[in-house]
Amino acid sequence: MENRRSPMLELVDIHKSFGDVEVLKGISSSIEKGELLTFVGPSGCGKTTLLRIVGGFTPATSGRVILDGQDISSLPPNMRNTKMVFQSYALFPHMNVRKNIAFGLTLKKWSKTEINKRVDEMLELVHMEGLGERHIDQISGGQQQRVALARALALGPKVLLLDEPLSNLDANLRVVMREEIRKIQEQIGITTIFVTHDQYEAMSISDRLLVLKDGVIQQIGSPVEIYEKPANEFIAGFVGYVNILNGKINERANGSNTFKISTTYGDIEIDSEREDIGDGDEILVVVRPESLSLKKPNSAQKLNGIKGTVLTHMYAGNHSKYSVKVGDKNIVVDQHNPKDSPRYQHNDTVELLIPRNAHILKRQ
Amino acid sequence: MTEVAINPVNRGWWYSVRAYVNKNLVNIFAGGLFLVLAIFLVYPIAAVLIKSFWGDDGLTFDFYREFFTYNFYYWSLINTLILGLSTMVILLVVGFCFAYLTTRGPEWLRKPLKIVALLPLAAPPYIFSISLITLFGRNGFINNLFNFDFNIYSWVGVIAAQCLAFLPLSYMMIENVLNSLNPSIEETAADMGATEYKIIRSITIPLAAPGLLKAALLVFVMTIAEFGNPAILGGRTPFLAPDTYLMITGEGDFNMASVLSVILILPCVVIFVLHNYVLKGKGYATIVGKATPTEKKEIIPGIKIPFMIITFAVGLLVVMSFVVILVGSFVKIVGVDNTFVMDHIVNTQSNTAIYNSIKVSLAAGFFGAIVGTLLAYVIMRGKFFGRHAMEMMALSGFALPGTVIGVGYIIAFNNPPFLLTGTIWIIILNCVFRFLAVGVEAGISKLHQISIEIEEASADLGADFLTIFFRIILPIMFSAFIAGFIYTFMTTMMSLSSVIFLVTPGFDLASVYIYLTAQLGELGLASATTVKVIFIVAIGMGILKIIARKTGFDVSKKQGA
Ligand SMILES: Nc1ncnc2c1ncn2[C@@H]1O[C@H](COP(=O)(O)OP(=O)(O)OP(=O)(O)O)[C@@H](O)[C@H]1O
Ligand SMILES: [Mg+2]
Repeated sequence: MENRRSPMLELVDIHKSFGDVEVLKGISSSIEKGELLTFVGPSGCGKTTLLRIVGGFTPATSGRVILDGQDISSLPPNMRNTKMVFQSYALFPHMNVRKNIAFGLTLKKWSKTEINKRVDEMLELVHMEGLGERHIDQISGGQQQRVALARALALGPKVLLLDEPLSNLDANLRVVMREEIRKIQEQIGITTIFVTHDQYEAMSISDRLLVLKDGVIQQIGSPVEIYEKPANEFIAGFVGYVNILNGKINERANGSNTFKISTTYGDIEIDSEREDIGDGDEILVVVRPESLSLKKPNSAQKLNGIKGTVLTHMYAGNHSKYSVKVGDKNIVVDQHNPKDSPRYQHNDTVELLIPRNAHILKRQ
Repeated sequence: MTEVAINPVNRGWWYSVRAYVNKNLVNIFAGGLFLVLAIFLVYPIAAVLIKSFWGDDGLTFDFYREFFTYNFYYWSLINTLILGLSTMVILLVVGFCFAYLTTRGPEWLRKPLKIVALLPLAAPPYIFSISLITLFGRNGFINNLFNFDFNIYSWVGVIAAQCLAFLPLSYMMIENVLNSLNPSIEETAADMGATEYKIIRSITIPLAAPGLLKAALLVFVMTIAEFGNPAILGGRTPFLAPDTYLMITGEGDFNMASVLSVILILPCVVIFVLHNYVLKGKGYATIVGKATPTEKKEIIPGIKIPFMIITFAVGLLVVMSFVVILVGSFVKIVGVDNTFVMDHIVNTQSNTAIYNSIKVSLAAGFFGAIVGTLLAYVIMRGKFFGRHAMEMMALSGFALPGTVIGVGYIIAFNNPPFLLTGTIWIIILNCVFRFLAVGVEAGISKLHQISIEIEEASADLGADFLTIFFRIILPIMFSAFIAGFIYTFMTTMMSLSSVIFLVTPGFDLASVYIYLTAQLGELGLASATTVKVIFIVAIGMGILKIIARKTGFDVSKKQGA
C-alpha cells in the first residue's frame, strides 16, 4: 500500500491580493497521492487563482506550496512537476496533434524514438489513436480537450491541474468527458486538482471537494460528507435542496450524545457526536427532503414528530414530493413511493418525522 | 396585419410617387453614389492609365519603353522598392519590440512606450524630414555638436524618416496581433519547459506570422507611396512619387507622369489584393472560451535589454523630433543661432496657408463624413448588384498612392465638362474621396452592431424611409459620422502628396508651404507651420471628442484606423 501519511501536495496558509483586494485569505490544505480533489465554489471566489498559484503561474502574496515534501513556492512553472490544462486548452494552433503532445518532450531533448513511443502511448490513453497527424482545427472540442490532457500528461507530472476543463463542451459531452477524465486519472493514478463551479460535476468526479467562497475554505470533505454533514449553511445549500429548522439546545444529557432540542414547532431529540455544541446553544437542524418521512397524525410514534399541513403533492413515479407547512415554514419532503404506500392530499394534516441522526449546526 | 385596406390609388399620384421612392430610396441613393464614385475616383485613375498609353498619335507603348530604357526612370522604381523593403524590415523589428514590451513588458514601461510609438500620428509624416535636417543636416545641431560629417540627404536619412513616420502603423498592427494571442498558450509552453527565446521563436512569432505579414505589407505600401520624405531628403536619388511631381512641374510631361503613376500603383494593387483576398481571415483564432487574465511576468534580461535599447533609441528620436520642431519654431536656427524670435510663428504666408488648410479640411471633413455615412448605409442595407464593387471603390482611395490620385485629378478635371483645375473644389473633392475609407468602415461596423430589426420595427410602426433615415439611422450612425469627419479633417490638414499637384500659385496649403520651405532650407518657417498644424489637429480632435462625449458616442476608438 501507498504511504497515506505524507501528502503529495500541501498548501500552507496561502494568501493572495490583487492590489487592495484580498482574493485568497489563508488557504491550507493537502492532497494525497492519487487523489482527485476539486476546487469548487461560485464564480470569482478564487479557484483559478489558487490553481495558478499551485502551477506557478501566479505568485502567492504569502504562503507555501509543498510538492512531495519539497517547497516549490518560488519555482517557475516549468521547474515544478505540475502540469496545467487551461480552460481554453491553449493548444498550439500551428502544430498538429502529435507535435502538440511532443512539445514538452522535445524541449526535454528526448530522442525521436522515445518521443514517438511516448506520444503513441498518450494518444492511446486518450483514445485518439490515428488522429496524430490532424491539425488542431480539424478535431472536435472534445478531442481538443483530450489532446490538451495528453500533452500535459506526456511529461509525467506528479500533479495534474485542470481549470474548468469541461466548460467549453456541450452538456452531453461534458458528462462523457467527465467520466473519461476520471477513468484516465484512476488508471494512471495521477494526483489531480480539478476546478469547476458546477457542484454536481464536483460531487460526481471527486474523491474530495474543497469548497471555496470569498477566498475562504468553507469545507473540505468527501462528497458524502459535504452532502450529509455540511459545515455551515452555505455548504448545506450548496448541493441539492435542504430544510433548515431553527432550534435551541435544552439539554445535552451528560456523557451521552443525545441532544434535547426545542423548536417553535415542538421538541425533538437528535443524536450527534458534536463536541462543540452545548446547553443553551442556538442551532440549526439540517435535513434533506429524502431523510424526512410523513405519517398520519396520532400514529403511535410521538417523539420527533411535528405537526404540519400538506400544501402540495407532486407525484413523480418513484417518489412523491410534498410541500408541508409547519408553522411559518415550508418543508420539502421526498417520500419513497412503493406500490400502495400512503399518500396525502392538499390540506391533509400530517406528522413530520425528523430523523434522530439529522445534522445539526451551530447558528452563526 | 391591419384589416383596413388602403388603396394607394385613392391617395392620388403623390402617394404613389412617395411610395415608390420610399421603397427604392436605398437603390436611388446607390445609383447616385455609384455615379459620384465613378466621377471622382474611377475616372481620374482611368485617366492616368489612358494617358500612359495615349500620346499625340494615339495608342502607344513608347512611354513605357522609355521608362525601361533610361536608367533615370527605372532606377526610381528600383530605389522605391528598396526603400519600401528596408523600411518594412526595420519597422517589423522595431514595431515588434515596441509591441512586445507594451503587451508583455514591465508595467511602468507600457504606457510611456505606447504613447511614444503612437506620437507620430499627431504629425504629418514629413515632420521627420524637417527634424532630421535640423538635427543632422549640414548645419545640424548634432552634427555641429559632435563634429560629425554626416549627410542626412541620403538613403539613411530617407529610410530613417520613413521608419519614424510609419512606426505607429506598424506598432498598432503588431500590438493588435500580440494582444489577440491567447496568453495561456505562451504559459503552457513555459509550463512545458520552454525558455522565453524558445517561446518567442516557436510559439509567438509563428502564431503572429499572418498578422505580421499583413502589417509588413501595409507598411510597404504606405512607404512607397509617401511623397514628402523622399522628396525632401532624397537629394539626387530618384524615387517614383517625387519624380511624378517633378515630371509635371519640371517637364510638364503628363504622359511620363502617368507611366510613373501606373508603375507605382502596381505593387499597391498586388498588395491590396493579397491583403484582402489571400490573407483575409488568415490567422489563428487562439482564444476559445474564457481566457484567464494573466499577471505580468518578468521578461528575461536577454530579451528585455536589447528590446529596450531598440525602443529607447527609436523613441528618443521621435521625442527629439517633436522637441526640435517646437524649439525650431521659436529660435532663429536651432543650435546655430539660438536667439528667441517670433518671426516664424507670426509669418503671414504661413498663417494664410494654415487658414486655407483649415477651410479645405473642414469642407472635406464635412462632405467626406456625409458621403462616407451614406455609402456605409447603402452598402450594408442595399440589395442591389455591385455592392461589393462599391465597397471596394470606396476603400480604394485609401490604398492608392496620393501622387497618383493627384495626377489623375489634374488630367481628369482640366477640361469641360469637369473643369475644376485651379478651384478650391478640386482640392476638397480630392481629399473627400481619398480619405473615404475610415468613414465608410466606421459606418459599416456601426451598422453591424444595430440590428436591421430596429428599422423594420420603425417601418412597422408606420415610419417611411426618410423618417427612419433621419430619426433612427442618422442618430445611431452619428458616431461613425464624427469618426469620418475627424479622420478626414486631420488627414486633409496634413496631406501633401496629392494636393501638391492641385494647388495654384498664390493659394498655398499648410502642408505644401511646409514642403516648399523645407526644400529651401527655411527650417524655422517649416517647423513653425508644422507646429501650428499639429496644434490645430489636436484642438480639432479635442473639440470633436467633447461633442462626441456630450452625445454619448465614443469616437476615440476609431482614430488612426
Ligand atoms: N490578474 C488579475 N488582476 C486582478 N484581479 C484578478 C486577477 N485575476 C483574478 N482576479 C480577481 O480575483 C478574483 C478571483 O478570480 P478567479 O479567476 O480566481 O475566480 P474563479 O473562482 O476562477 O472564477 P470563475 O468561476 O469565474 O472562473 C476575481 O474577483 C477576479 O476579478
Ligand atoms: Mg476560473
